This record gives sequence, C-alpha cells and structure tokens, in this order.
Amino acid sequence: MTDYFDRVHEGQPIDDFEIIDFHAHLGPYFNMHIPKSTSEEMIWMMDRCGIDKTIVSPTPALCADLVYGNDVMLDTVKRHRGRIYGAVTVNGNYPEISVDELNRCFEADRDVVLVKLHPILNGCRMDDKRMKGVYEFASERKLFILVHTWLDQDAYGNQDLFASVAKDYPDINWLMGHSGGPFGSHRAVEIAQELPNVFLDLTMSLVPARQIEFFIGEVGAERVIFGTDNPFIDPRPQIGRLCLADITQEERALIMGGNARRYIEFG
Amino acid sequence: MAKLNFLDCNCSVGRVSRPYLGDVSDAEGLRREMDAAGIEEALVFHTMARDASPPLGNGMLKEAIADDPGLHPVWVVLPHHTGETPPPDKLLGEMEANDVRAVRLYPGKDHHSFSLAEWSCGPLLSALEEARVPLMLDIEIVWWEAIQPILENRPNLPIIATNVSYRHNRFTYPLFERYDNIYIETTRYFGAGNFEDVVERFGPRRILFGTNMPACTGTAAVSMLTYADIPREAKEAIAGGTIRSLMKEALS
Repeated sequence: MTDYFDRVHEGQPIDDFEIIDFHAHLGPYFNMHIPKSTSEEMIWMMDRCGIDKTIVSPTPALCADLVYGNDVMLDTVKRHRGRIYGAVTVNGNYPEISVDELNRCFEADRDVVLVKLHPILNGCRMDDKRMKGVYEFASERKLFILVHTWLDQDAYGNQDLFASVAKDYPDINWLMGHSGGPFGSHRAVEIAQELPNVFLDLTMSLVPARQIEFFIGEVGAERVIFGTDNPFIDPRPQIGRLCLADITQEERALIMGGNARRYIEFG
Repeated sequence: MAKLNFLDCNCSVGRVSRPYLGDVSDAEGLRREMDAAGIEEALVFHTMARDASPPLGNGMLKEAIADDPGLHPVWVVLPHHTGETPPPDKLLGEMEANDVRAVRLYPGKDHHSFSLAEWSCGPLLSALEEARVPLMLDIEIVWWEAIQPILENRPNLPIIATNVSYRHNRFTYPLFERYDNIYIETTRYFGAGNFEDVVERFGPRRILFGTNMPACTGTAAVSMLTYADIPREAKEAIAGGTIRSLMKEALS
C-alpha cells in the first residue's frame, strides 16, 4: 500500500509534485462518442486529479486534416497558456506540408514542444522515404517525436519499425506511444535498452498489471514518461495507476513530470 | 469519508498461454493485486475454463479460491446438448451447491464453438432468466448485435457485458434507453467523462466495477471511479452495490 492510497481512494488531487501529461489529444473523434473533449473539459478533468500541464495533438489532425488540427492546437495553446502545450502533427503522406507545418508551428508559439506521428492512422510506414524531411527537422532541433506503436498487427508503426528508425536518427528523442500495446512490454524494454534515445509511454486502456514496476526495473524511471491520451481516454485512471504503483516517490515524481522537465522548457 | 467497498466482477485465476506481462496465475497473486488497488472482493472464473475446457476449469476453480473468502466463483458453461455441461435444471442445482451465482459464455466458432441463438442456447438462457442468474458476455467475443435480441426476449435475464471499450457509447446508450437488464463492466470503460455522463443520463446502476485482474492492474479502474464527479451513492452502487444486489437475487 503506497502513501497515496487514502488520497486516491478519497479522490483527492495529487498536488505535492508537478504532473505533466506528455501524451494527450483534443476534440472529437469519428470512431467514438467522447462526453468531455473540449480544452475546458480536459482542464476540468486534469484539475480533478492534479495534472498541471498537458501536451496535445488534436484528433482531427491525426485522422483528417493535419493543418486544421495544428491550427486548433495553436489556438488552444494560446488560450490556455501554462496549462496546455502543443504537439505538431505530421503525416508522411504530405511530406512538404508536414515540414511546412513544423516550421510554421514551432515559429508561431514557444509552447509548441514536440512532434506527433500516428503511422497506422495515416497508412504511411515510419520508414517511408517521405518521412525524411520530418526526421531531419527533428534531428537538427533534438526534438521529441511521439509515435503511436503496437507490437503486432501494425504494418506502419510496429515496434520493430520504430526501433529501426529510432536507430537511424539518434539525435531525436523517441517516445514509444503505448509502448507497443498490452503485449508490447518485453519488446519495449529491449528497444529502450539498446537505444538510449528511446523513452517508454504509459498511455493505454488495457493496462498490464505491474508494467510500471517492470519498466523501471529494466530501464530505470528516467526512461519512462507519463501520458494519459486525454480525452481519447479519461486521464483519471492513470493517476491511480501511478500513485498506487509499488515504486519510490523519487521514481514517481520523475515519471509523472520530472523527466518531461529535463527535456522540455515549459514557459 | 469511508472508503468505497469494491466488488470486482471481472477477475480470474489460472495461467494463460499469452500473458500481457507477468505470471500471476493463482489466488494469492490475485489477492496481492487486489490489495494494492484497495479492492475487497471479486467474482472469479478460472482461465482454464475459458481457454481449455469449461468442465475442467470449473472443477479447478473451487480449490483454487478456497482459501480466500473474498473470492466468489463464476462458472464458464456451454449449452447442454453435447453433455459437457449438464442440462439446465441440473446445472442450476450444481451451481447452488457450489455457491456459483453468475456464469460466462464464450460462443462463436473461434471460441467455444456453439451458437448463442435460441435453437442452441434457448433452454440454458430460459433457466438462467428464471433463476435471475447474471450472464457475462465478453464484448470482444459477443458483439452488441448478438446481445440485443437476448435483452429483447429475456427481460429478466441480467446481461453483464465485460471488457466494454471506451469507444462503445454509441452502442450502449440506445441499449440503456430500451432495456433495464443490460450492465457494463469497467475494465476498459475509460472514455473521458463517461461516468459523469452515464450517471446523469441513466443513473449509476448500469455500470459495474471490474478490472480484469490479474492480467490488468486494478488501480486504474479504481481511480476512474474515485475521482468521478458523481454522488457518493452512485459511487457505492458502481463499486459493488449493484452487483451485490444481483448476486443476492440470483438463485434465491
């Protein structure tokens, strides 16, 4: 039983260290009804459990029009300064537009802090040659790229593809979205052990028991980063998952915000 | 405020061929996960009954959970025609003798290879309905279109859809509007604001707390509920109040 047991069970926000959500979205999604999907509703959910900051890539950018979605992102970052930060969505099917979007968004606002790539939704493999411009942009600036990954049944962004591209671009910090899904944990740590520029994401709806403890034991808390998928998934389950995990307070604080602070300047 | 008293309706014991991560296959391991999350009781089936043979796994379950009074048995059953599961009347008697108050079915050619339709499961469903025994159906295996006719034809049979995804509101809401006997379990029911929205529209009794431990952690489902902005009575109903009522009514 952890020190947070009572607070989680009482539904008290966690406020004794900074919590930064590195993996979030914004807005509606074609495949589901989301009761709370606006930026205001996202912040309301964050406040319910104690999340201080979040980095968003709007869902319309992932599944439809990246330019529209990035516009929404820029507007949202501006309206919620200090709470919501931006991820620029790119799409390998639009190589020139993607690089233009990177230049436009990173120049537009200092609170745009990372790049988001969803290969399977775009139907464009991570190692497609059209991705080169995006990777060169991120390499030059030593950015984080958050990639949706899955162990198998993903011809576009499976963990082996992710590893091969991460190896080719060592100056990019690669966040392995979902760490390959519920069956991907073992492959995730193999890749992170081999490649020092790979970080593991905790976002998931089917949450394997003891995954956090396993990741820390295999690669250390410094390589694990907190995310929620808000509002694709409610952020509140992740608070119980982290706060009731059998880990040290130092490890918890690193994963839930400290690691993000080490790599990104939050205005 | 007193801690919620959880009864998890979606747990198992038994080793599986392809685990997510660890090998937590016995009741002691399940209890450790429950204690870490703060979950008092659970309805438990044996994975051997799902993944190998219902009679074999059901037979193993009693001994597997015998030392933990907070673990309550759930059987995986089949329609009786092949003789692997007894005829409905006899089945209910055996369930009563073993304090089994809920059952699971895994129909379809890729699972237990039988039909959920009336020509196959009709006698079993009639007996379960008569005895008010909750029927658990994994939504990854039995899709909503197959559940709807059962809800329509058997209004007194409680159906618990397990592993309901955060993406399923467009299926569940029309069923909530039409049928009183559909319940959903919370292992993956993590849509943003789902609890607030469902409780406001339909009340709390449709949502039953569940986690899929020990494959999954129970901690995530716990905080989905404890941080929800819904009345205390609604949280109590979801945490265990409603499922305890259903279990009490079963076989009574």
